[in-house]
Amino acid sequence: MTRRLTGLLGACSALGLMASDAGAQEARTIQVATHYTEEQAAPLLACFDAYEAEHPGVTVEHQQTAYGDFLQTILTSRVGGTAPDIYNVYSVWVPQLAAAGVLEPPPADVAEFIAEGYSPATVGAATIGGQLWGIPTELSIYALVYNRKLLEEAGYSEPPKTWAELREIAQKITRTNDQGNIDVGGYAYGTSVAEGVHPFYAQMFAAGVPPFAEDGRSTNLTSPEAIQILSDQAALFADGITSNAIVVDNFASNAVAMQISANWNKQGWQEAFGDQFADTVGIAPIPTDGPGGTMLYSFLWAVDATSDAKEESWDLLRFLNTPREGGLSCTGEMMQGMGSLAGNSADLELMTANADEFDRAYVEEVTSGRAVTQPNIWQAAEADRILRGYIDQAWAGTMTAEEALTQADAEIQAVLDEQP
Amino acid sequence: MRRSPVLSSWVNSQKVVPWLFLSPVIVFALVFFVLPVGFAAYVSLTTWDSLTPPRWVGLKNYQYLFATDPLFLKTLRQTLTFAAGTLAIGVPLALLIAMAFSRVPYKGAWRVAYTLPMVTNIVAVGFIFWFVFRQTDGLLNRVLGLFGLPGPGWLTDPSLAMLSSILVYVWMELGRNMLLFAAGLGSIEEGYAEAARLDGASEWQVFRHVTLPLLRPTLLFVVITGFISGMSYFTLMLVLFPGTQGGPSRAALTTGQYMYQMAFEDLRMGRASAVAYVLFALVLAASLVQLRLLRRGGVEA
Repeated sequence: MTRRLTGLLGACSALGLMASDAGAQEARTIQVATHYTEEQAAPLLACFDAYEAEHPGVTVEHQQTAYGDFLQTILTSRVGGTAPDIYNVYSVWVPQLAAAGVLEPPPADVAEFIAEGYSPATVGAATIGGQLWGIPTELSIYALVYNRKLLEEAGYSEPPKTWAELREIAQKITRTNDQGNIDVGGYAYGTSVAEGVHPFYAQMFAAGVPPFAEDGRSTNLTSPEAIQILSDQAALFADGITSNAIVVDNFASNAVAMQISANWNKQGWQEAFGDQFADTVGIAPIPTDGPGGTMLYSFLWAVDATSDAKEESWDLLRFLNTPREGGLSCTGEMMQGMGSLAGNSADLELMTANADEFDRAYVEEVTSGRAVTQPNIWQAAEADRILRGYIDQAWAGTMTAEEALTQADAEIQAVLDEQP
Repeated sequence: MRRSPVLSSWVNSQKVVPWLFLSPVIVFALVFFVLPVGFAAYVSLTTWDSLTPPRWVGLKNYQYLFATDPLFLKTLRQTLTFAAGTLAIGVPLALLIAMAFSRVPYKGAWRVAYTLPMVTNIVAVGFIFWFVFRQTDGLLNRVLGLFGLPGPGWLTDPSLAMLSSILVYVWMELGRNMLLFAAGLGSIEEGYAEAARLDGASEWQVFRHVTLPLLRPTLLFVVITGFISGMSYFTLMLVLFPGTQGGPSRAALTTGQYMYQMAFEDLRMGRASAVAYVLFALVLAASLVQLRLLRRGGVEA
């Protein structure tokens, strides 16, 4: 009895060992880190399952990290030796990550896949100094967003084309309560760094002056155009057309008439306005006296240089970004779900074919060539934070636009001078 | 398998045994205190982005903070304002409430009510006060409006942002300080006050010349620990001013939060470590003062 039991146990453990040995040969776990919530990433997660089914032994795990903590999480996980294999990174983080050897350049076949399937402007967002670092995913484009109903109530059937028109309309729409606080703002900015800096950059592109020099070694922040833009912005605060208390988030409650925002807000506004969405939310090119234009930025799929599953990771990324039979790629499907635009040309074409007015207006900014890629400068996040600090000073009236931008330029220049 | 007599006597010797018992604590302190403090000291003398090897720069980080950085001294001033402000408003208030509650019925119930904010999640606190302080439709401004008063931007006006943070922090910490004062008051014998009253002292004189001196150890403890925690605080600002750089125009940016931004947003670990050391020096100085005053107060009491 005892001998039989021992024999059985021995056989079981031998089988177990064999199984685990076989597993060790094939089992691979690919960890994919993104800033998308489980709900947003649902189409992607379904594709992970499909990929696992096609590739026995491969497990794909999703690690969600809040956008604000993303870079920090990457760094911590690398120090701890638990870095994910695949990252979905914001293009402006790439210079530091690439310089530090965090990212693995795509192999030749993937580079070819990108060159064939993505527009040059989109590829540019994933390229630093001529080197491609990943597969572009989400395109975010800035445009003027306006509340059609508020404009109509004030007697305007068309959105403004110049800043002077914007100002006139905004002033007419602004309403204050008995305490003098703004109930409905003619115009709004946001509290975050991006909500202050990105509209400013977009306005600079619209005025025909990019915020940074082509080589990323100096700024154009002290140009007359930049100073004019900031002093016009500050005038909206000084004249009570906007304030720190009335921000872009208030747009969804019909408390803001106009703002410069990116297309990824669509999902939130659709939820807020319901069947009134199309009749309420209007999109127009950024008002300017210049030649016109705007800014776009991109996220990209990249692979960690220390990953022990690089080949599998790039294979998974090709799978996720290849348009499926007659439909969108997995990444494209996720983007569409969020109301965002995909980087892949085939996805973008398909999205445009089924697009509503909102999407078409944003796509028009890309296809017309008006949208210019945000420059992937050195320490971009820090430069943005510095600039936001001085924009705040100008808005609050504690500095003139010229003083604020001169200071910002000096500080950002010191940061840019650090780059190799 | 007999133990060697030499090893056995060495292990049992009075010199070694205490160290053996202390070793878990010593190892813990080495790994979680001495090592990080030493490493931070080294990092503060380098430029390090946590991705590439650190580069030695000597005292340049410290020089930058005091000579070049346009924000560091501003955050230090704001941090001191916060720490001092929370004490100036919070300590007398806590003492007043503790004294009031020492004379009312249902002491326990009152104390529980005032202690509840202490156990409330900070995010919930931030969220609630966000609705109270909103400029256009916040509860506070609506109430002020009923009396025809203006509605200031408690969280959006740079000149009020720090005051709002101080008020919410005082509200949060009131219960803790009140409990400490209640314990301190409870330990003072009633006989002293009675003797003073028999000698014709007014209530104010009893408080000023009897209660307050006897309460000094508690008072010092509350003030100094409050100051130290106030000096490194920024959690409340994160939830009261979400997404901002420390409130409107950075008006509520404390040195702790600024250090966090340097380290984890700008990847300037060296500079951030230098800030940590400056803060450490300030807090150390405050602690030394605390030790000195407490020792004196303790002897006199």
